[in-house]
Amino acid sequence: MQPSPAILIVDDHDGFRTFARGMLEAAGFTVAEAATGAEATEAARAVRPGLVLLDIGLPDFDGFEVARRLAAVPAGDLAPVVVLTSTREARDYGGRIAASPAAGFLPKDQLSGAALRRFLDP
Amino acid sequence: MNRWLRATLIAGAITAAGCFVWTSWPPNSQYAPVEISLAVVGLSFMVAGIAAWQRWPASRLGLLFTIVGYLYLVPYILVNLANPVAWTIGNVSQGVYGAALAHLGLAWPTGRLRSRLECGVVVADYVQNIAFNTAATMFWNPAFSGCNASCPANVLLISGGSRSAWNSLNTVEALVGFVITGIVLTLIVRHWRSARGWSRRAMIPLLWIGTAVGAEVILTGSLFHFSALVTYALIPLVLLAGPALFVISTVRARTAGGALGTAIVDLEPGASPGRLRDALARALGDSTLQLAFRRPDGSGYLDTSGQAVDVARPAPGRAVTPIADADGAVLVHDAGLEHEPQLVRLTAAAASMALEHSRLQAEVHAQLEQVRASRARIVEAGDAERRRLERDLHDGAQQRLVTLSLALGMARDRAAGADPELGSLIESASKEAREALTELRELARGIHPAVLTETGLSGAIQALAERSLVATTITAVPDGRFPAAIEATAYFVVSEALANVAKHAGAHGAQVIIQRRPGRLVVEVSDDGAGGARPEGGSGLRGLADRVASVGGVLRVDSPPGGGTRLEADIPCP
Repeated sequence: MQPSPAILIVDDHDGFRTFARGMLEAAGFTVAEAATGAEATEAARAVRPGLVLLDIGLPDFDGFEVARRLAAVPAGDLAPVVVLTSTREARDYGGRIAASPAAGFLPKDQLSGAALRRFLDP
Repeated sequence: MNRWLRATLIAGAITAAGCFVWTSWPPNSQYAPVEISLAVVGLSFMVAGIAAWQRWPASRLGLLFTIVGYLYLVPYILVNLANPVAWTIGNVSQGVYGAALAHLGLAWPTGRLRSRLECGVVVADYVQNIAFNTAATMFWNPAFSGCNASCPANVLLISGGSRSAWNSLNTVEALVGFVITGIVLTLIVRHWRSARGWSRRAMIPLLWIGTAVGAEVILTGSLFHFSALVTYALIPLVLLAGPALFVISTVRARTAGGALGTAIVDLEPGASPGRLRDALARALGDSTLQLAFRRPDGSGYLDTSGQAVDVARPAPGRAVTPIADADGAVLVHDAGLEHEPQLVRLTAAAASMALEHSRLQAEVHAQLEQVRASRARIVEAGDAERRRLERDLHDGAQQRLVTLSLALGMARDRAAGADPELGSLIESASKEAREALTELRELARGIHPAVLTETGLSGAIQALAERSLVATTITAVPDGRFPAAIEATAYFVVSEALANVAKHAGAHGAQVIIQRRPGRLVVEVSDDGAGGARPEGGSGLRGLADRVASVGGVLRVDSPPGGGTRLEADIPCP
């Protein structure tokens, strides 16, 4: 079995981060956390996660802007797989998800290690 | 003019006419038309005199008109009385009415002469008329006209008379009269040229009188010779036009109040002060009328064309009448109108009424505008509140339910191996939490569609079409963002319309077209259903119409039975 890549959870809700970390660590992932868009870009540079679980509603930048910044890595570097998430559904964002560099969208209530693996290994 | 004076004048006019008929009876068929015209013209001046006295009590014009009438008629009566003294006086005074006419013309419309020159001219005219008539009469033997014993004697006749002396005197009188009349007419033309507005209009009867005087000098003078019919029928007719026009203009002045009323009624709602001025000027017959308002800083007056007006020192020939109940508004008009105080009062009252009407209308418009603005603010505040509620649900309850759902999921996974019964119980709880989350999402979406905030109209309408229970085609929807109130209104129009299509129309399909047009956004939703929707019914269309109206738009519903429904919202959009 391949080692699970690090996952960066970006969400301003402490409770969600705590439970998501617990769930993903139980599923074998290494987990890092960030509470804002600015922290997320810094943590991505430091941790180099394989996947970023990115809440759309952040207090500083929205998830779409953070996804755009995360995708803009220097040439030769590997950009992380970004999965947008929200308590809302994908249709509440119209075509914005498809237009973003994110790999996809996962409603928060459907979060699981298996669901994330499908993004990592489509 | 008091009752007794009027009665006396009327009685005098009737008596003069009666005397005229009595003395010239039986009518001589050859001169009958001339005699009738004499009576009509003389009486017309008397009637005009009464009218002038009534219309302009402060003016001597009535007196002058009356004098002309008597001087025109009485000499002919005297000549026909078959009495030597009367015959002689009649001969001496014949034609003196011409001097009275010159007096009337120069004194128009006040009845007072304006300068020493004019006084001199008028006195000279009276004197030359009487002097030459007296001198000529002294040389006129009635036998020259072929009547011997039947004619009354000339009491002034000296040494049997002399036809050649009489002729010479008449020629000289005609020459002098020609010069004086020329001066009089020149002075009248000068008055006419310097008059403006109402005063100029008021001079129209005078011009006819002037024309008649000029014609008479040319036709009756010994310088030219025309037939008796031309001389004695044409001149009276032209002369008649003067008093007739004066009487007509008097009647018109009396009905000007009605014209003012009509002018105000015909004025369109919210007409500008300029249009009010035009209407008043037309009704008043004074094209120079100015409607002036005090400047807001109180430093002077401006008329409706923005020109400064010196109200304290009006220009010569101008007069100022304040408009009651309209603070700081005045009428500046032809000074001649001071002869028509009632008309000026009526005009000021009409202007006051129209200005008050405009003020009230402006007030109502301002209040309506305030109500519109406050309604728009209320709707916007409602929208903002709904957005806040949706966001609060998203950030609060939904978030907690998600976390709860994740926690239950983890608990279920841990309990599943150790205690299957507990695992099943937790799974049930987790399912409940997910369903609660789904319901809460729908509720939040109903309160305010997040997709509208996130993506604007285009994405939100697309989402509506996808969720619609009836196949919905979006034919056109503009990209880009619009003001939040416009987006929300357009969204709710489509949302409500599609909900109605699904609930009531029995349609196979619906179509949405949203088009940006200059200054507005037109939202159209149509279906191929049963039609028959009534905007005043309880289908939510009335609320939608209110919603559209809150942003200044209009909702139109076309829904013939069996012909589908077409709903169009026309929304002003910057």
